[in-house]
Amino acid sequence: MPGKSHHVVLNPNGGWSVIRTGASRATRRFTKKQDAIHWASVQSRKDGSELVVHKRDGMVESKSTHRDPQPPQDRS
Amino acid sequence: MPLHGGRAGREYFGRNVFINCPFDAEYFALLKPLLFTVLYLGFAPRIALERSDSGEQRIQKICELIRVSQFSIHDLSRLQSSRKNEFYRLNMSFELGIEYGCRHFAVDHLRDKRCLILEKGRFDFMKALSDLSGVDIKNHGSDPARLVRCVRDWFVETAGLRGVEGSTAIWYEYNLFAEEFYSRRLAEGFSDEDLDMMPVPEYTGFIRDWVRARG
Repeated sequence: MPGKSHHVVLNPNGGWSVIRTGASRATRRFTKKQDAIHWASVQSRKDGSELVVHKRDGMVESKSTHRDPQPPQDRS
Repeated sequence: MPLHGGRAGREYFGRNVFINCPFDAEYFALLKPLLFTVLYLGFAPRIALERSDSGEQRIQKICELIRVSQFSIHDLSRLQSSRKNEFYRLNMSFELGIEYGCRHFAVDHLRDKRCLILEKGRFDFMKALSDLSGVDIKNHGSDPARLVRCVRDWFVETAGLRGVEGSTAIWYEYNLFAEEFYSRRLAEGFSDEDLDMMPVPEYTGFIRDWVRARG
């Protein structure tokens, strides 16, 4: 199972939403896509998680990862 | 050998959904969430692209798919030619006619067939198929998220489906699936072209596995 990610997706009821993997409800809703990307980017940096931005058709527009490639428990 | 993957029998009739739509690259942005929604709701999409037997006539295959499917979805949104000298597209309305005749003249379980007709804009179909005036038609505006809502709501209204998630939640699930599908397949060595041109049975197989894994 992949790690948690923040996804910026089209909200069918208007605007753009930020959702997390494993959640069927939006965390936050924004009028502008750029505002949603900004907020999700801040959250994913905090969490060290991946940010996935989707296009209007649901396909992936861009991905960026803030995951630590070597988590503390793996360091020797 | 069971016909068509063993999904032709009467026990599958109430789960099969015949999909009548264009098969061009432009429509794939709608076909993908359409297939996802049908599978997510627990039904089995039946589509002319599900098998390619050069020894089988396409019209025979379509009639067989219509016969074994209680439900059908007909997207008439691409009937109109969009360029000068481009032919008007008749396949979708022709197949809708077969579906209508099958139900209308049936004397057995085929009378229980139910269909959803989709169009792009409200009342667009009236300009080409005025015989359909008075029937309920949903319009998706060529928007994938609206298409998910049309299909999900129709299954609730017409197929009596209950206890299913709302269309917004299903749309979000589709977005999550799309990301995981592409990233996993690319990691497995598929190219972008492989994924864009993937045969329908392979694509629907991945959706089935993903939905099953989500529980």
